[in-house]
Amino acid sequence: MVTPAGTTPDPFLDGPAQPGFLGRVAGYVPGLALLAGVGWLGKLLEQTINGYGKAHHLLLPNIEYVLWAILIGLVIGNLFTLPKVFEAGVGTYEFWLKVGIVLLGARFVLGDVLKLGGISLILVVVEIAGALSLMLWLGKVFGLKPKLASLLAVGTAVCGVSAIIAARGSIDSDDEDSAVAIAAILALGAFALVFFPLIGHALHMSDRAFGVWTGLAVDNTAEAIASGAIYSDTAGKISVLVKTARNAMIGFVVLGFAIYWSRRGLARKVEGKAAFLVEKFPKFVLGFLAISVLLSAHLFSKPQVAALGNLSKWAFLLTFAGVGLRTNFRKLFQQGLRPLVVGALGELLIAFLTLGLVIGANAVWGL
Amino acid sequence: MSPQPSRTLTARRLSLDSWAVLLAFLLAALVRIGLVKVVPW
Repeated sequence: MVTPAGTTPDPFLDGPAQPGFLGRVAGYVPGLALLAGVGWLGKLLEQTINGYGKAHHLLLPNIEYVLWAILIGLVIGNLFTLPKVFEAGVGTYEFWLKVGIVLLGARFVLGDVLKLGGISLILVVVEIAGALSLMLWLGKVFGLKPKLASLLAVGTAVCGVSAIIAARGSIDSDDEDSAVAIAAILALGAFALVFFPLIGHALHMSDRAFGVWTGLAVDNTAEAIASGAIYSDTAGKISVLVKTARNAMIGFVVLGFAIYWSRRGLARKVEGKAAFLVEKFPKFVLGFLAISVLLSAHLFSKPQVAALGNLSKWAFLLTFAGVGLRTNFRKLFQQGLRPLVVGALGELLIAFLTLGLVIGANAVWGL
Repeated sequence: MSPQPSRTLTARRLSLDSWAVLLAFLLAALVRIGLVKVVPW
């Protein structure tokens, strides 16, 4: 059974079976220490290489700690089999991602959130409509099972693994379909980490435009933010905002698919649509907005904002280390070629579509 | 009479998102009241 990254929906529920609260907490310590160690090593490598370049007057490429942390994680995760004792702690990387996003609300005054968030929402709606239509059409052309095509469409249109997990229960798809869809999304996310920054530099994109692009085009939230942060700090910050706007749409998209499949008698009936939307709405989006409101109400001083920004960076560092550690290429490619081809083709077209959207939005609104 | 849910089960009803928001707010509160003054990077 393949258990690719992100399939651990809740590390607090699926931790090692140890009696007592302290026992359960202790189960997370080895993996957390590994996340921290990998992240810290990435930071150390960035500082050491930059320091060496400066001391010896060499023009060395400035590789961000984000990329180092992911690369070190990838090497460890793909060359060695991680002992089981690390699993629970490493699985918390999505938790740290959400903590980091909420804390990053302290770097945005509400006016910025509303302005860029408003523009993002327009782009997100166009992206979601385009991505859903495209993936469903490609799924038909390549003869994928309809529910697998639905999962791939939800994953590419909204927020990768989380969206697939949310949709899996709602459309009663089988475990194999969701594992295949998750694997395809993760494999493509790993490529985005490398190719998006390269394309951004080749096109001389501004930090803000690049952040909007990664937030719109990269599916998994961790990879979207990492791609932005590899480009620059500002791009990483903007990609968080745009990706958060995209994540906020998850309930509507999953509800649409749930109704579609239940009308065909292939999924349970959706009882109480409003409650469904509330249940699926990502709560960390509200947390992010609430912190931004507190900042706009001048509740935090400048040094406090800096402290919150740094706490957010530490949380993201744990996330990026986890992305590397949990991406296992051998397992990802075991899932069969057809879903991967559909996913890759779809991602490529969506990358072009969203690039066009960003260029257009830049011309109209000046991102 | 149905048995009362245990504390652990009650705690487990919170989603991962909610736990993340709670921790982030706890950290923000610690910074706000001055218990955490400087976070190095």
